[in-house]
Amino acid sequence: MAQMTTAPAAPPVPERAAAPAARSPLHRFLHAREASTFLALVVLFALGTLIAPGFVGTDNFLTVGQQIAQIGIMAVGVTFVIINAEIDLSVGSIYGLGAVVCGLLMSSDVAWPLAALGGIAAGAVAGLLNGLMTVGFGIPSFIVTLGTLSVYRGVTLLLSGGSPISLSAKDPGVAEFNLLGQGKLFGLVPMQLVLFALVAVVGMIVLSRSRYGFNTYAVGGSAEAARLCGINTGRVKVAAFTLSGTLAGLAGVLGLSFLSYVQGVTGTGMELTAISAVIIGGAALFGGSGTMLGTVIGVAFIGVLQNILNLRGISSFWQTVATGAVIILAVAADTWLRRRSGRR
Amino acid sequence: MTSPATIAAPTTAAVEVTGLSRHFGAVRALQDVTLSVPAGSLTAVMGENGAGKSTLMKILAGLDTPTAGAVRVAGEQVRRFDPATLLSRHRVALVPQELALAQDRTVAENIMLGAEPGSRPFPDRRRVDERAAELLDRLGLRVDPRGAVRHLDAASQQLVVIARSLARQARLVILDEPTSILSPAESERLFGVIRSLQADGVTLLYVSHRMPEVFALSQHIHVLRDGRHVGHWPTAEVSPDQVVAAMVGRELAAEFARHDTPAPAPTATPRLRLRGVRGTGFTGVDLDVAPGEVLGVAGLPDSGRIELLRGIFGADPISGGELSLDGETFTARSPRDAIRARVAYLPGERRQQGILPTMSVADNVNILTLGRRQRFGLLRRGALRRDADTRARDLRVKTSTTAQGITQLSGGNQQKALLARWLSIEPRLMLLDEPTRGVDVGAKAEIYRLFRSLTEAGVGIVVSSSDLPELLTVSDRIAVLAAGRLVGVIDAAEATEEKVMALATGAHTMKENA
Repeated sequence: MAQMTTAPAAPPVPERAAAPAARSPLHRFLHAREASTFLALVVLFALGTLIAPGFVGTDNFLTVGQQIAQIGIMAVGVTFVIINAEIDLSVGSIYGLGAVVCGLLMSSDVAWPLAALGGIAAGAVAGLLNGLMTVGFGIPSFIVTLGTLSVYRGVTLLLSGGSPISLSAKDPGVAEFNLLGQGKLFGLVPMQLVLFALVAVVGMIVLSRSRYGFNTYAVGGSAEAARLCGINTGRVKVAAFTLSGTLAGLAGVLGLSFLSYVQGVTGTGMELTAISAVIIGGAALFGGSGTMLGTVIGVAFIGVLQNILNLRGISSFWQTVATGAVIILAVAADTWLRRRSGRR
Repeated sequence: MTSPATIAAPTTAAVEVTGLSRHFGAVRALQDVTLSVPAGSLTAVMGENGAGKSTLMKILAGLDTPTAGAVRVAGEQVRRFDPATLLSRHRVALVPQELALAQDRTVAENIMLGAEPGSRPFPDRRRVDERAAELLDRLGLRVDPRGAVRHLDAASQQLVVIARSLARQARLVILDEPTSILSPAESERLFGVIRSLQADGVTLLYVSHRMPEVFALSQHIHVLRDGRHVGHWPTAEVSPDQVVAAMVGRELAAEFARHDTPAPAPTATPRLRLRGVRGTGFTGVDLDVAPGEVLGVAGLPDSGRIELLRGIFGADPISGGELSLDGETFTARSPRDAIRARVAYLPGERRQQGILPTMSVADNVNILTLGRRQRFGLLRRGALRRDADTRARDLRVKTSTTAQGITQLSGGNQQKALLARWLSIEPRLMLLDEPTRGVDVGAKAEIYRLFRSLTEAGVGIVVSSSDLPELLTVSDRIAVLAAGRLVGVIDAAEATEEKVMALATGAHTMKENA
């Protein structure tokens, strides 16, 4: 029924004539959300080439790739949360929780794949709880995850009993487990970077091509409008928090595998770097916008920036200052560009 | 460009706009607009939604920057387009449709914001209140300057915004559809204020869709269409029909004729049947909607008519009574249930509840039918784009491409896009709340036409509206709600605005329009 027999005798609408299908790829690229972040990354690259000795080179680039992998994996999850117009401040604590749970299981001679899954599962449960509390209590996720930032850290400290956990390469399974964080694909590409790439690609496809990704943008843009379109907004949000927790748990497991060492405070402050990467990548804290490609570029930007400062021998205290300044600059530049071009 | 300008040249122009253009990517919101507003006049700017009125007003108020062209205010060229410059230097003030007031600050503080007497960081509170009281007096608004703005109704808040522009000594006041939020009585009060402002030498630019008030108030009428300036007349020398023709570029009269097809005969199984239905804000409602019928729902804003539609759709819980759809029991526990039963709901609050503001026109149109366009769990983008293009074309949504952000469309086109969204589920019942709010004449006509083709196809339509002429035009029957109860159902053939209002307001004196 309801066939649309639209009315006769209407003059053609002039605006429709301007079909922009013929836009050049370059034009499309320059108007993409990620363009400004990407250009900033290119500038940073050029700067690195000029002022940082040893910046250009496969080894250095792969080192950067390895360094950004854990933050990157966390940022993929945080991207889903932020596009939902929520925030997850607890991922640094979940990182520690995942690492400690995995470490304890390894120390109790649980087979390493199960120990790794245990760490990831701890992260998943932590994320699920964040989501259930946010949606169930109807309170801002800023508050919920500010609380769990502390709660999960406390649980992690309790579990570890305050003393560090070290894995000995002589123990069974540890050598294999360490390959996750220390191994290199084809003896060249760090396994962590491979995993990050995998997670990012899957995240990208889910976000841009799946119905779940579509619903994420809808809910983040206007939760009420999305609900009136039949979307279960609570479920979409809980799923995003669970994903964020799971990936933070995975990052923690990789961290343990890389260092063979974890303590109760491991991961403190990482949430801010992960959130920063997402914001630099162009996602708006109001929700409804942002892309996975942007996040990856944002992660790379932070990694390259720190690498250049390292190579120049600048103290890590200054690196902290620089990261913060970049967040402000990135958002300011993006806002300025959008205002100029009339995009919203 | 149709009629020659007949304004006598010697009077200085309050505003002169020359060759003004504003492009958003491929969209030409304004295209080479040249017009002049004589000082001391009330000049109306008319046009359909999307014609460029709002863009023009935004530029004049410094909220947007033109791509090309020049603006002169009282002979002086505007060099910086920002609200502070326009207000302080050129003394142009905008009274927007959406009033932006600090709700928790006092009336006086809102009025005197930026113009506080006393030394800068420490305004003299007593003088702030006194000066505000003077301005309120001048506008005939009797409210306590020390009370919070939150407690004022929309009409009074609007006068507060006007008072604020007077506090900043505005010489040009732009009123953007000022009566869209007002009842007839409140509108009359506003017209009085407008006339007295004009008597005091303030120039007014007046944007509206409503012919009667434009003809009652203005001396000049300019018409924009598709971003171009297409007509200009002294008000005394033009007829409403000519203005409408210029606005829409075509004849429309037929669409606004009363719905004269005979009401469908009551059938054994109505499309929708309500028996003793109650929920938040309404109770004991008995109603039938036949297939192919348009049932109008009238009532004051607090009558429960908005809640009734939300309840049927499952957006709010129904607490009792029986509902059936085509003879089968139907209780939507969530919008999802309703959509599955092919029931559509168009919310009245388009911007907050209708559009998905960060998404494209295509995404907004496609959201209900994503399931049909999946392969291996992934959305088929090409198919979705084609779906959106077809749907947008069927409803004649004016957009350069469906990949465009929905917020870049005018209100009327957003509404058409939302209707396209709901038609995608081939609804058997449509619940429409204020379907033409903020929609221009042209789009309105298209929406009415759409109703007819839908009802011919047997769709049942429930229209809740505060626009009585609209209800009389589109409905077969009109149900009137008051204080959450159904107080009467009138056949459209016998309905008049007076009859409906009498029912809606009950024994009380008419305070607000319905």
